[in-house]
Amino acid sequence: MTDPNDDTDDTMICVGAIAGAFGVRGEVRLKSFTADPLDIADYAPLTSENGEMSFDVQVVGPIKNGLSVRLSGIETREQAEALRGVRLCVPRTRLPALPDDEFYHADLIGLEVRDTGGTLLGTVKSVPNHGAGDLLEIAPPGTSETVLLPFTRAAVPTVDLAAGRIVADPPEGLL
Amino acid sequence: MARSVWKGPFVDSYVLKKAEASRESGRNEVIKIWSRRSTILPQFVGLTFGVYNGKKHIPVNVTEDMIGQKFGEYSPTRTYYGHAADKKAKRK
Repeated sequence: MTDPNDDTDDTMICVGAIAGAFGVRGEVRLKSFTADPLDIADYAPLTSENGEMSFDVQVVGPIKNGLSVRLSGIETREQAEALRGVRLCVPRTRLPALPDDEFYHADLIGLEVRDTGGTLLGTVKSVPNHGAGDLLEIAPPGTSETVLLPFTRAAVPTVDLAAGRIVADPPEGLL
Repeated sequence: MARSVWKGPFVDSYVLKKAEASRESGRNEVIKIWSRRSTILPQFVGLTFGVYNGKKHIPVNVTEDMIGQKFGEYSPTRTYYGHAADKKAKRK
Protein backbone atom coordinates (compact mmCIF):
# COMPACT_ATOMS: atom_id res chain seq x y z
CA MET A 1 0.00 0.00 0.00
CA THR A 2 1.00 3.61 -0.44
CA ASP A 3 2.28 5.44 2.59
CA PRO A 4 2.16 9.23 2.02
CA ASN A 5 5.12 9.70 4.40
CA ASP A 6 7.30 7.26 2.50
CA ASP A 7 9.63 9.28 0.24
CA THR A 8 10.92 6.13 -1.42
CA ASP A 9 7.48 5.07 -2.64
CA ASP A 10 7.81 4.48 -6.39
CA THR A 11 4.13 3.82 -7.18
CA MET A 12 3.28 5.41 -10.51
CA ILE A 13 -0.06 7.17 -10.93
CA CYS A 14 -1.57 7.62 -14.37
CA VAL A 15 -2.54 11.28 -14.86
CA GLY A 16 -3.22 11.37 -18.59
CA ALA A 17 -3.13 9.66 -21.96
CA ILE A 18 -2.16 10.84 -25.42
CA ALA A 19 -5.07 10.53 -27.85
CA GLY A 20 -3.14 11.50 -31.01
CA ALA A 21 -1.74 14.47 -32.85
CA PHE A 22 -3.36 17.88 -32.93
CA GLY A 23 -2.55 20.16 -35.85
CA VAL A 24 0.62 20.01 -37.93
CA ARG A 25 3.11 21.61 -35.55
CA GLY A 26 3.75 18.67 -33.25
CA GLU A 27 1.09 19.34 -30.66
CA VAL A 28 -0.69 16.36 -29.15
CA ARG A 29 -4.27 15.78 -28.06
CA LEU A 30 -4.06 14.89 -24.36
CA LYS A 31 -6.76 13.41 -22.17
CA SER A 32 -6.15 14.66 -18.63
CA PHE A 33 -7.36 12.54 -15.70
CA THR A 34 -6.54 15.08 -12.98
CA ALA A 35 -9.31 16.70 -10.92
CA ASP A 36 -8.69 19.99 -12.76
CA PRO A 37 -7.53 19.00 -16.26
CA LEU A 38 -5.11 21.93 -16.54
CA ASP A 39 -3.27 20.79 -13.40
CA ILE A 40 -1.55 18.06 -15.38
CA ALA A 41 1.20 20.51 -16.39
CA ASP A 42 2.07 21.05 -12.70
CA TYR A 43 3.21 17.43 -12.39
CA ALA A 44 5.75 17.60 -15.24
CA PRO A 45 7.97 15.89 -16.18
CA LEU A 46 5.55 13.10 -17.05
CA THR A 47 6.87 9.66 -17.89
CA SER A 48 5.44 6.86 -19.98
CA GLU A 49 4.24 3.73 -18.16
CA ASN A 50 7.42 1.81 -18.99
CA GLY A 51 9.56 4.77 -17.93
CA GLU A 52 11.34 4.97 -21.29
CA MET A 53 10.05 8.42 -22.27
CA SER A 54 9.82 11.59 -20.23
CA PHE A 55 8.20 14.85 -21.26
CA ASP A 56 7.83 18.39 -20.08
CA VAL A 57 4.32 19.64 -20.75
CA GLN A 58 3.15 23.02 -21.99
CA VAL A 59 -0.63 23.34 -22.26
CA VAL A 60 -1.67 25.27 -25.38
CA GLY A 61 -5.38 25.23 -24.62
CA PRO A 62 -8.53 23.19 -24.19
CA ILE A 63 -9.91 21.42 -27.27
CA LYS A 64 -12.79 19.03 -27.89
CA ASN A 65 -12.31 15.91 -25.72
CA GLY A 66 -9.13 17.08 -24.04
CA LEU A 67 -6.25 19.50 -24.13
CA SER A 68 -3.87 20.58 -26.84
CA VAL A 69 -0.36 20.34 -25.39
CA ARG A 70 3.20 20.67 -26.54
CA LEU A 71 5.57 17.98 -25.27
CA SER A 72 9.31 18.51 -25.04
CA GLY A 73 11.16 16.83 -27.91
CA ILE A 74 8.07 16.46 -30.11
CA GLU A 75 8.37 18.79 -33.10
CA THR A 76 6.39 17.19 -35.94
CA ARG A 77 2.93 15.76 -36.47
CA GLU A 78 4.45 12.35 -37.25
CA GLN A 79 6.27 12.24 -33.91
CA ALA A 80 3.06 13.28 -32.15
CA GLU A 81 0.99 10.68 -34.00
CA ALA A 82 3.46 7.96 -32.98
CA LEU A 83 2.68 8.68 -29.31
CA ARG A 84 -1.02 7.82 -29.66
CA GLY A 85 -2.10 5.59 -26.76
CA VAL A 86 0.86 6.42 -24.49
CA ARG A 87 -0.27 6.78 -20.89
CA LEU A 88 1.53 9.45 -18.86
CA CYS A 89 2.37 8.80 -15.21
CA VAL A 90 3.95 10.54 -12.24
CA PRO A 91 5.43 9.03 -9.08
CA ARG A 92 3.07 9.10 -6.10
CA THR A 93 5.66 11.13 -4.17
CA ARG A 94 5.14 14.09 -6.50
CA LEU A 95 1.54 14.64 -5.38
CA PRO A 96 1.39 17.35 -2.70
CA ALA A 97 0.71 16.40 0.92
CA LEU A 98 -2.88 16.70 2.08
CA PRO A 99 -4.39 17.89 5.38
CA ASP A 100 -5.84 15.42 7.90
CA ASP A 101 -8.97 13.60 6.78
CA GLU A 102 -8.22 14.21 3.13
CA PHE A 103 -6.90 11.35 1.02
CA TYR A 104 -5.98 10.71 -2.57
CA HIS A 105 -8.24 8.19 -4.29
CA ALA A 106 -5.09 6.42 -5.44
CA ASP A 107 -4.10 5.84 -1.80
CA LEU A 108 -7.51 4.53 -0.76
CA ILE A 109 -8.13 2.19 -3.67
CA GLY A 110 -6.97 -1.31 -2.81
CA LEU A 111 -7.00 -0.85 0.97
CA GLU A 112 -8.42 -3.65 3.09
CA VAL A 113 -11.63 -2.79 4.94
CA ARG A 114 -12.35 -4.51 8.26
CA ASP A 115 -15.16 -3.94 10.72
CA THR A 116 -14.50 -2.98 14.34
CA GLY A 117 -14.40 -6.66 15.28
CA GLY A 118 -11.66 -7.35 12.73
CA THR A 119 -13.79 -9.18 10.18
CA LEU A 120 -12.74 -8.58 6.60
CA LEU A 121 -15.44 -6.69 4.69
CA GLY A 122 -13.54 -6.37 1.42
CA THR A 123 -11.23 -4.03 -0.43
CA VAL A 124 -11.82 -0.51 -1.69
CA LYS A 125 -12.64 -0.58 -5.40
CA SER A 126 -13.37 3.09 -6.07
CA VAL A 127 -14.26 6.35 -4.31
CA PRO A 128 -17.37 7.75 -6.01
CA ASN A 129 -19.05 11.02 -5.12
CA HIS A 130 -22.57 11.49 -6.42
CA GLY A 131 -23.05 14.90 -4.83
CA ALA A 132 -23.90 13.76 -1.31
CA GLY A 133 -20.36 13.26 -0.03
CA ASP A 134 -17.63 10.76 -0.80
CA LEU A 135 -18.38 7.06 -0.66
CA LEU A 136 -16.15 4.01 -0.49
CA GLU A 137 -17.12 1.28 -2.91
CA ILE A 138 -16.12 -1.96 -1.23
CA ALA A 139 -15.74 -5.24 -3.09
CA PRO A 140 -16.40 -8.11 -0.63
CA PRO A 141 -14.32 -11.24 -1.20
CA GLY A 142 -15.90 -13.95 -3.34
CA THR A 143 -18.63 -11.87 -4.96
CA SER A 144 -18.92 -9.42 -7.83
CA GLU A 145 -21.46 -7.26 -5.99
CA THR A 146 -20.14 -4.14 -4.28
CA VAL A 147 -21.21 -2.22 -1.19
CA LEU A 148 -21.13 1.57 -0.78
CA LEU A 149 -20.06 3.03 2.54
CA PRO A 150 -20.31 6.76 3.38
CA PHE A 151 -16.80 8.17 3.90
CA THR A 152 -17.57 9.83 7.23
CA ARG A 153 -15.82 9.72 10.60
CA ALA A 154 -18.78 7.82 12.03
CA ALA A 155 -18.76 5.10 9.37
CA VAL A 156 -14.99 5.03 8.80
CA PRO A 157 -13.30 5.81 12.13
CA THR A 158 -9.78 4.73 11.09
CA VAL A 159 -7.81 5.05 7.87
CA ASP A 160 -4.33 3.59 8.31
CA LEU A 161 -2.48 4.10 5.04
CA ALA A 162 0.81 2.79 6.41
CA ALA A 163 -0.79 -0.51 7.40
CA GLY A 164 -3.00 -0.57 4.29
CA ARG A 165 -6.12 -0.92 6.38
CA ILE A 166 -9.43 0.84 6.96
CA VAL A 167 -11.62 0.19 9.98
CA ALA A 168 -15.30 0.64 9.22
CA ASP A 169 -18.33 0.85 11.45
CA PRO A 170 -21.10 0.56 8.87
CA PRO A 171 -24.56 1.83 9.78
CA GLU A 172 -27.32 -0.75 10.29
CA GLY A 173 -28.88 -2.06 7.12
CA LEU A 174 -25.95 -1.22 4.86
CA LEU A 175 -24.34 -4.65 4.54
CA MET B 1 -45.01 23.66 -15.65
CA ALA B 2 -43.87 24.15 -12.07
CA ARG B 3 -45.78 22.51 -9.23
CA SER B 4 -48.37 24.69 -7.51
CA VAL B 5 -47.08 26.22 -4.30
CA TRP B 6 -50.29 25.54 -2.38
CA LYS B 7 -49.72 21.78 -2.67
CA GLY B 8 -46.40 21.92 -0.88
CA PRO B 9 -43.41 19.74 -1.80
CA PHE B 10 -44.15 16.18 -2.93
CA VAL B 11 -42.93 13.37 -0.69
CA ASP B 12 -44.09 9.76 -0.77
CA SER B 13 -45.84 9.15 2.54
CA TYR B 14 -43.83 6.03 3.35
CA VAL B 15 -40.61 8.06 3.21
CA LEU B 16 -41.98 10.45 5.83
CA LYS B 17 -43.04 7.55 8.05
CA LYS B 18 -39.68 5.78 7.78
CA ALA B 19 -37.75 9.00 8.43
CA GLU B 20 -39.87 9.77 11.48
CA ALA B 21 -39.45 6.26 12.86
CA SER B 22 -35.68 6.41 12.34
CA ARG B 23 -35.40 9.79 14.02
CA GLU B 24 -37.42 8.61 17.01
CA SER B 25 -35.38 5.43 17.40
CA GLY B 26 -32.14 7.45 17.29
CA ARG B 27 -30.30 4.52 15.72
CA ASN B 28 -27.52 4.94 13.20
CA GLU B 29 -29.15 3.23 10.24
CA VAL B 30 -29.64 3.54 6.51
CA ILE B 31 -33.27 4.18 5.58
CA LYS B 32 -33.87 2.21 2.40
CA ILE B 33 -36.19 4.00 -0.01
CA TRP B 34 -37.22 3.45 -3.60
CA SER B 35 -38.83 6.87 -4.03
CA ARG B 36 -36.39 8.85 -6.16
CA ARG B 37 -39.12 11.40 -6.88
CA SER B 38 -39.57 12.55 -3.28
CA THR B 39 -38.37 16.02 -2.31
CA ILE B 40 -35.75 16.32 0.45
CA LEU B 41 -37.36 18.10 3.40
CA PRO B 42 -35.70 19.98 6.28
CA GLN B 43 -36.65 17.20 8.74
CA PHE B 44 -34.49 14.76 6.78
CA VAL B 45 -31.25 16.63 7.51
CA GLY B 46 -28.78 14.43 9.37
CA LEU B 47 -30.39 11.14 8.30
CA THR B 48 -28.84 8.67 5.88
CA PHE B 49 -31.09 7.30 3.15
CA GLY B 50 -30.33 4.39 0.86
CA VAL B 51 -31.77 5.60 -2.44
CA TYR B 52 -32.44 2.87 -4.98
CA ASN B 53 -30.86 3.34 -8.39
CA GLY B 54 -32.47 0.34 -10.06
CA LYS B 55 -29.77 -2.04 -8.84
CA LYS B 56 -28.78 -1.13 -5.31
CA HIS B 57 -29.31 1.45 -2.60
CA ILE B 58 -26.85 4.35 -2.71
CA PRO B 59 -26.17 5.92 0.73
CA VAL B 60 -27.13 9.60 0.81
CA ASN B 61 -26.25 11.65 3.91
CA VAL B 62 -28.73 14.51 3.85
CA THR B 63 -27.31 17.96 4.52
CA GLU B 64 -28.91 21.39 4.59
CA ASP B 65 -27.87 22.37 1.10
CA MET B 66 -29.78 19.38 -0.34
CA ILE B 67 -33.19 20.61 0.83
CA GLY B 68 -35.63 21.03 -2.06
CA GLN B 69 -33.77 18.64 -4.37
CA LYS B 70 -35.07 15.15 -5.21
CA PHE B 71 -33.49 12.01 -3.75
CA GLY B 72 -32.91 10.64 -7.23
CA GLU B 73 -30.44 13.40 -8.01
CA TYR B 74 -27.95 11.84 -5.59
CA SER B 75 -28.31 8.27 -6.81
CA PRO B 76 -27.13 8.01 -10.41
CA THR B 77 -28.37 5.11 -12.49
CA ARG B 78 -25.24 4.83 -14.62
CA THR B 79 -21.67 4.25 -13.48
CA TYR B 80 -18.47 5.73 -14.81
CA TYR B 81 -15.28 4.98 -12.94
CA GLY B 82 -12.67 7.16 -14.66
CA HIS B 83 -9.13 7.44 -13.31
CA ALA B 84 -8.09 8.16 -9.73
CA ALA B 85 -5.10 10.37 -10.73
CA ASP B 86 -4.87 13.21 -8.18
CA LYS B 87 -8.52 13.19 -7.13
CA LYS B 88 -9.12 13.64 -3.42
CA ALA B 89 -11.71 12.40 -0.95
CA LYS B 90 -12.54 14.20 2.27
CA ARG B 91 -13.77 12.35 5.34
CA LYS B 92 -16.56 14.43 6.95
